Amino acid sequence: MSQPTQAPHKPPFWTIARRDAAAGYIFIAPQLIGIITFVLVPLGLVFWYSLHEWNVLAASFNFVGAANYQMLLADPNLPQVLIASAIFSAGLVILNMSLALLLAVLLDQKLKGMVVFRTLFFSPVVVSLVAWTIVWSFLLQNNGGINGMLAMLGIEGPNWLRTPTTAMISVVVVQVFKNVGLNMILFLAALQGVPKELYEAARVDGASGFKQFRRITLPMISPTILLTSIITIVGSLQVFAQIAVLTQGGPGMTTTVLVYYLYQQAFQFHFFGYGSTLSILLFVIVAVLTFVQWQLRKRIVFYEN
Amino acid sequence: MKTDLSPRMKTALYGLMCILLIPFVFPTWWMITSSVKPISDIFAFPPDLWPRRFDFSTYAQVFELQPFARQYWNSAYIAALVTVGTMVISSMAGYAFARIKFPFSNAIFMVVLLGLLIPSEVTIVPLFQIFLGWGMINTHWPLILVPIFGAPSVFATFVMRQFFIALPNELEEAARVDGLGRFKIFWTIALPLAKPALGAVAIFTFLHSWNLYLEPIVFLSSTQMFTLPQALTQFTDAYGGAMWNIQLAAATMTAIPVLLVFIVAQKQFVEGLAHTGLKG
Amino acid sequence: MTKHLLKTTAATAGIILGLAAAGTAWAQDAVNLRMTIWSANEAHLAMFNEIAEGFKATHPNVSVTFEPLPFDSYTTTLTTQIAGGNPPDLAWILETTAADFVNSGALAPLTDAFAATEGYDLADVSEKATALWTKDGQLYAYPFSTSPFAIFANNDVLKAAGAKTPAELIAAGEWTWDNAFASAATVGQSGKTGLVVRDFKFQTWQNLASIWNGWGAAPWSADGKTCTFTEPAMVDALTAIHKAIFTDKAMPGPGEDIDFFAGETGMTITQISRASLLPKENPFDWDLVPLPAGPAGEYSVVGQAGVGAFAKGANKDVAVEFLGYMTNAENSKKLAQFFPPARASLLNAETLASTNPLLSPEQIENVVISGIANGTVLPGHTNFAQIQQTIRAGLDSLWVPEADVAAVLANVCSSVSPLLAR
Repeated sequence: MSQPTQAPHKPPFWTIARRDAAAGYIFIAPQLIGIITFVLVPLGLVFWYSLHEWNVLAASFNFVGAANYQMLLADPNLPQVLIASAIFSAGLVILNMSLALLLAVLLDQKLKGMVVFRTLFFSPVVVSLVAWTIVWSFLLQNNGGINGMLAMLGIEGPNWLRTPTTAMISVVVVQVFKNVGLNMILFLAALQGVPKELYEAARVDGASGFKQFRRITLPMISPTILLTSIITIVGSLQVFAQIAVLTQGGPGMTTTVLVYYLYQQAFQFHFFGYGSTLSILLFVIVAVLTFVQWQLRKRIVFYEN
Repeated sequence: MKTDLSPRMKTALYGLMCILLIPFVFPTWWMITSSVKPISDIFAFPPDLWPRRFDFSTYAQVFELQPFARQYWNSAYIAALVTVGTMVISSMAGYAFARIKFPFSNAIFMVVLLGLLIPSEVTIVPLFQIFLGWGMINTHWPLILVPIFGAPSVFATFVMRQFFIALPNELEEAARVDGLGRFKIFWTIALPLAKPALGAVAIFTFLHSWNLYLEPIVFLSSTQMFTLPQALTQFTDAYGGAMWNIQLAAATMTAIPVLLVFIVAQKQFVEGLAHTGLKG
Repeated sequence: MTKHLLKTTAATAGIILGLAAAGTAWAQDAVNLRMTIWSANEAHLAMFNEIAEGFKATHPNVSVTFEPLPFDSYTTTLTTQIAGGNPPDLAWILETTAADFVNSGALAPLTDAFAATEGYDLADVSEKATALWTKDGQLYAYPFSTSPFAIFANNDVLKAAGAKTPAELIAAGEWTWDNAFASAATVGQSGKTGLVVRDFKFQTWQNLASIWNGWGAAPWSADGKTCTFTEPAMVDALTAIHKAIFTDKAMPGPGEDIDFFAGETGMTITQISRASLLPKENPFDWDLVPLPAGPAGEYSVVGQAGVGAFAKGANKDVAVEFLGYMTNAENSKKLAQFFPPARASLLNAETLASTNPLLSPEQIENVVISGIANGTVLPGHTNFAQIQQTIRAGLDSLWVPEADVAAVLANVCSSVSPLLAR
């Protein structure tokens, strides 16, 4: 034997498993260090702030323990803020997902000019948020474009941004039109990934179009639905510029969602300590929602590889 | 689903889509046409679909009132750097989480996913303090480093991981038998296959960076350093009142190039997404 | 002597800080002051840079950077910078947040430093104008802009509707809110818009002070501790405003954003500085008149902006010195080009005519000079942002046709009282 003999009970240090582990850590290192520096450390600092009374202008920073959390529980505004957030997020997710799915199904048809439609439906995504919201704030005024059109049809439109119900509908709808294009593209991609043979087989079995959609399409794209719903819910809890421009949280406090309330407390009222406490609350809500959705995936997702 | 449709059905579909288009297209249309209207015509009621009078001087004024070309460059190069950086970081991390077995990989992945859950308003003050400590206030570093390494890149990592998980094992096995290292495999085999997913990541990342608003306002202070969304708010008269036509001209110039890029690249974009783990 | 000592202290402090911070920069070389402002207007910036250049004559090592921040998020951005430990050296301050900044101790006291500045003459600045910016006899920010509220009238629109113009009413000695609302109602019922309170938008309720001060009404007591929305004067004033909006159509309702300067509105209440928005093409026959008399007699209201230096800044003393230079008698004349001054010596038709070329001598005399001299500043309060927001939310239920004014105002007081009492 010309090969050098190796002691069988003493393998080299760099086994494949160890090499893999080292490679794995090197591959994820930049991301992990980034998350620690730019997410975990700031989050820890926010928690630290939440234990303090911090008046920025007076430069006072005093440890108050759980006082901010007690204030949270006693905050008379918090129930309506949470209700507004729940209505906003639920409305946004339901409307966004169903409209995105409808548009994706329409765009998936074999018709000429779909590329044009696809581009136009997507176009608000690239328009600056500020410009988009300002245009809508003109259209939604009592004497604005929408009520002008309704008047031509003989309908007296509501005072959109000044009536509690319609104000909430308006902020939801404006946000949906702005961003539904992203989900639409995700759904469209998912639809185009469904194997055609499945439909062939179903047609042979005589399944109607709607039945095909319910039995084949929906299950096949359910992972996309799950993922987009998570992204959309998380996104909906972070919306505030639109509300600042359109309603400033009003009328009353009907459109003051949690992130807007947080922004007000910290950046407008200068209560950074309490604002940080609200941040922690927001983080916990987002984390719990995501966890629940992730746990539910086994039930709602029919197919996953 | 894709049966050939009857002509009546086709007409109905076109009609439906045209009606659905109105709320998507009208605001943008109004933005573009109003950017060449004299300011007194902008708020005409009912809104004009076509300008009554044209005033193209707004476009020149955009460049006179702000160092707009410089701000354009700032936004463009930051977005480009962030896009490339994110593609590198997230494809490496996504690959490792998907295909390499190493201790605690799942736990670490969960930690990384935390980044998806935190609104930027929550961490902006501590981030400001961190960058102040590094002497990076009023530089572009926070706008480059945070998106590449921090929370915004997590979604990209997630997309890449989903893509790499779906890759068949055999492709790599052969290479491993040949004794190729992980880096080689990643670089020569996995990454070239990941082009569609990378394309999707690139577009999402670019859009995110291009539209970033809160962070530039907080981190940047001199007009020379501003990015576009921030510059848009600077077209005001002496009393903070918005100069609408100029602002809309600037907004139009901000949107059009991105829209053009989307039109050119959308085929790859949609196909890219169709091939990622985001599909059905 | 004092001045020299100050400088030495500043230099020493600067050296220590400089060494501690980086170990490279020595204090005696370049000091760069940063001032945040909310105007990105080129002409403004040019003027400020000119003043900063002038300061270099005596302080060759000092340069000043003017940092325009977006108006809408101005205070927010400023606060974030302070919270992050990076406050500017100097900053413009809105009248509404004046109390917060002045009372917090964030700003450096100015009175003594200004007194020590040659030819400053702080007594020239009207006491009414400095009241908001003063605590315990010390000035903490200089009110560089004191802009009176007045009424711009579009006589073309008023006459076309058959309404009396303000000029006619003034000539007849009948310029009261009753008659002003009546004129506005005539215009409103003719299909155009009668009277717009600019920037109010059913959000910025403090701008209604330009009306309710005529009733002698105020949102809270002089000491700021008690809500006075339920006082008869305020109930009467808001009842009159509510009637003008919903019964007489004299003012546009909520959600109807109308710009007077587009030419389709009878009258607007705004600050005189907005004269620059009058259309140059297709001009209409406009007039500028003082606010009408209310049941409580004649009155005037001003909006203010101040500029202060931060007490914790590394270059605090240089910053205060620069502020003294920027707002001295000579430079105040430059500032008056854009910002109505509160200095008695500048409040004459001659100075103001050159800076307000659109206004006639009577308009300057009746509106600008008497407005600045007699004006009450818009309401302000410590923690104004939260109080503003709470009252805004409460008043929202007033802006419907069938509102019960007294009941709504009682609600406003019950929700805002705990905040005022703090």
